[in-house]
Amino acid sequence: MRRRKRMMEGLDEDLREHIDRETQDNIERGMTPEEARYAAMRKFGNVTRVKEAVREVWSFLWLEQLLQDLRYGARVLRKSPGFTAVAVLTLALGIGANTTIFSLVNGILLRKPPVHDPDRVIIVSNKWAGNGGEWDRLPVSAPDFLDWRTQATAFSGMVAGNFDDYTISGGTIPERVPGGRVSSNFFQTLGVAAALGRTILPGEDQPGHDHVVVLSDGLWKERFGADPGILGRVVRINGNSYVIIGVMPSAFHLWDFEARMWVPLAFSREEIAPTGRKERFLRVFARLKPGITAKQAAAEMGTIAQRIAEAHPDTNKGWGVAVKSVQEYSIEDGNVTTALLFLTVAVGFVLLIACANLANLLLGRSLARQHEFAVRAALGARRTRLARQLLSECMILALAGGGLGVLLAHWGVRALRAQMNWTEGAVSLAQTLQIDVRVLVFSLTISAASAFVFGLLPALHISRTDLNDDLKEGSRSFTRGGERHHLQRLLVVGQVALSLVLLAGASLFLEGFLEEIRASAGFNSHNVLTASVSLRGLEYYGAPQREAAFFENALRNLGNLSEVESVAVTSDLPFNFPNERNVAVEGQPAANPDEQPRCGYFVVSPGYFETLQVPVLQGREFHVSDNVNSNPVVMVDRAFARRYFANENPLGRHIKVIEGGTKDDWREIVGVVADVNEFLGQRDSRPHFFEPFLAHPAGTMNFVVRTRSSPAGFSEALRGAIWAVDSNQAIASVRTMDAVIADAGQGDDLMAELMSAFAGIALALAAIGIYGVISYMAEQRAHEMGIRMTLGAKPTQVLCLVIRSGMSLTGIGLMLGLVTSLVLPKLVAAGFNGFHASTAPALVAAPVVVAVAGFLACYIPARRAMRVDPMVALRDE
Amino acid sequence: MSTKEERTRIELLQGTLDLLILRTLLLGPRHGHAIAKAIEFNSEDVLQVEQGSLYPALHRLIKRGWISVEKGTSENNRRAKFYRLTPKGRRQLELETRKWDKLAGAIARILRPGEQEGEP
Repeated sequence: MRRRKRMMEGLDEDLREHIDRETQDNIERGMTPEEARYAAMRKFGNVTRVKEAVREVWSFLWLEQLLQDLRYGARVLRKSPGFTAVAVLTLALGIGANTTIFSLVNGILLRKPPVHDPDRVIIVSNKWAGNGGEWDRLPVSAPDFLDWRTQATAFSGMVAGNFDDYTISGGTIPERVPGGRVSSNFFQTLGVAAALGRTILPGEDQPGHDHVVVLSDGLWKERFGADPGILGRVVRINGNSYVIIGVMPSAFHLWDFEARMWVPLAFSREEIAPTGRKERFLRVFARLKPGITAKQAAAEMGTIAQRIAEAHPDTNKGWGVAVKSVQEYSIEDGNVTTALLFLTVAVGFVLLIACANLANLLLGRSLARQHEFAVRAALGARRTRLARQLLSECMILALAGGGLGVLLAHWGVRALRAQMNWTEGAVSLAQTLQIDVRVLVFSLTISAASAFVFGLLPALHISRTDLNDDLKEGSRSFTRGGERHHLQRLLVVGQVALSLVLLAGASLFLEGFLEEIRASAGFNSHNVLTASVSLRGLEYYGAPQREAAFFENALRNLGNLSEVESVAVTSDLPFNFPNERNVAVEGQPAANPDEQPRCGYFVVSPGYFETLQVPVLQGREFHVSDNVNSNPVVMVDRAFARRYFANENPLGRHIKVIEGGTKDDWREIVGVVADVNEFLGQRDSRPHFFEPFLAHPAGTMNFVVRTRSSPAGFSEALRGAIWAVDSNQAIASVRTMDAVIADAGQGDDLMAELMSAFAGIALALAAIGIYGVISYMAEQRAHEMGIRMTLGAKPTQVLCLVIRSGMSLTGIGLMLGLVTSLVLPKLVAAGFNGFHASTAPALVAAPVVVAVAGFLACYIPARRAMRVDPMVALRDE
Repeated sequence: MSTKEERTRIELLQGTLDLLILRTLLLGPRHGHAIAKAIEFNSEDVLQVEQGSLYPALHRLIKRGWISVEKGTSENNRRAKFYRLTPKGRRQLELETRKWDKLAGAIARILRPGEQEGEP
């Protein structure tokens, strides 16, 4: 283009020069100057034309023609705004939805931890099989870890961390934060350096030197205002003083091992004593030596574990080792993988429907333009030229749709990020979530390709058909190309079937989710606020009576508030997997200790069941008199009573809790309560038992407060009442019981929402597809309708005729979709643990919805056909 | 236009002008007017070019890389653009000349079937 400009410059001058010379020559030949000039001009020819011809030499003909085509295409598209809007929107939805979901899937399945050479870092866990299950992500005891570290040769480094909650106090309000006690070479092995200051040094894991702390970027910013002079400052952690030595970079995050601060891991004497092998609390990370594969490392660790199990059978018999990459370790939940798979399939369906829609729209449109093209071809337009014009229209559609699709994907990912808040892990994952460029390119390509293919099909068609036929046929439109609708009809049937399958799938998930919520009704979760307190500080260390006093005082303070109906504490909230203990049931001796029943247990204060409104079925609730000095008592739930006492009355019977020999006395069952589920959607309740808090005081308890009205504004009053007892204690996880249940869903609601959104999109697209085809066919038959009406057909008969033709397609699609949907419940149930949904509503409701949408899509063009003036229709051609 | 002119002057075949320009420039770089004059002179005024059509042809040849353009001053010290044959253009000229000879020979054989092929 620049060259062209340069060449065109000075052309004027050249031409003038030329004419001047010729004039000069003519004068020399003896003409008068005027004659000479005239002759020169005549000999030269039309100056403007010459300039144009030169410009043409330098123009990029194809580009200019393309621009011309694009301009023309844009004009054509603008003339049919309905078609254009629908086509662009269809493309955008397909691209946007796909990019969003695949970005999520890739973000979850393909992410790498932010450590040096993440592929070489593995997590070594304990593995244990028994009681009908196998667990391979279990923590490790300190003596086992130390043995592993000395014996294993496959690793260049092996480190451990004990991840727990810590209370940071001093300065502002006390705060409970997740933190880790980690080996002194933890950060070196992972290959991450501090952003400010330093990480933990060798030797700082020795008792006496271990009072240093490294902060996470988030904690540093939130609690310490990103103070650059923070190093050397002293903070109180669990009541002890620690010196801040460093701040980690913001990107450092070990997903499942959430920590906002790290202190050195100094093993206590009890932890490394032989009995310490039973206390499994460490997470072990290791870096593979160069040249060693994870498989080789796993083999070596297996041998080591076997050796240890043989040397310490009483603590390690049956315990193996599992070696996993951080990625493998994190994709713990099979349901997550299945959910992603379902989403992928669903969104793939959406893309398919979108492409089919686009194909339909373009086909319908180009069939309608067959006549136009035939005329143009007859007038001498070359086929390539026609094809190019169609191509440019497709290009505009693809560009507009693609652009909008990218925008939708951007919003979609942002919305997903905001939605993923059910755990800290999900939040940290959400932060890394972004549009996956490869995915974006993929969906852009697919949709653009479908636009081009179906946009150009008619061009191919033109080159095959006899123009004469087309021209002749054009004058008798009611017979026109009946068989050409086959492809379109096929597409509509496919769309209806696919959208029905999607809708049925989505309602299955929705149903499943609602079922989970319904099944959770073991108590009344409304108007209940919860909060968690872990007592920290020397004054509570080894002083259970002080711990009991703290909670008694806090409960009294809260109970005195007018908004509070009742209040209690519990060791674990419902839906948060309680601790387990082995129990012995009176009169039912177990053959060996391994076969003793294992049950979940809660420690609860008097008033717990009253607060949650869990019905007490038999006997009584705990009293204040059930304390350390009274007869040991216990409550059980219905599942427990049914399992161990069958038809007998459990009241007055005894159970013994095996707690390492200290308090192994028989406890009398004084009450039976209704079952409360442990997780959403649980069908078969597991047995649980309850112990009175005043007899078994502990330092970590959860408050449950039933308020008279909505507990939303009650958080501050709750904090005040607790801090009135001890202002150094952190109050964590203040949330409503409804939120506790929703959080336990781990994004099930998000899954249901996403599936519904896709089904909605699919349904809308299918309806558009039906609408497009029916209105096109109705238009084509306007002439026929005109004749029918002239011959006496009533408008309603015409209406019925059009609707019937549309609904027959919808009907076939529905049948196909329904047959496919029948296998869905089995598929979903096979993929998801604990998925229970009655499938009937989904399979009844979904077809009805699709049928209604299909009917509406037919009705609108049918109404239009009915209103056709017969005379106009007949005169039209 | 008179009938006499029509008899003595022949319009150029398409593409022939390119060949003639290349041939003219074989003798050395020239400016536009000089090329036109040379063609007319060498054909003894039989070939009458509409001189303006020379320019699109020149630009076409530049675009193909067969001739190059340079600025200079003409004999009477006026600024002018000079056109020069490039090595690529020289090869093209040979090729085109051979093709032309073949074509002319073939046409001559058809038009005068009995005569021996000889000097034109």
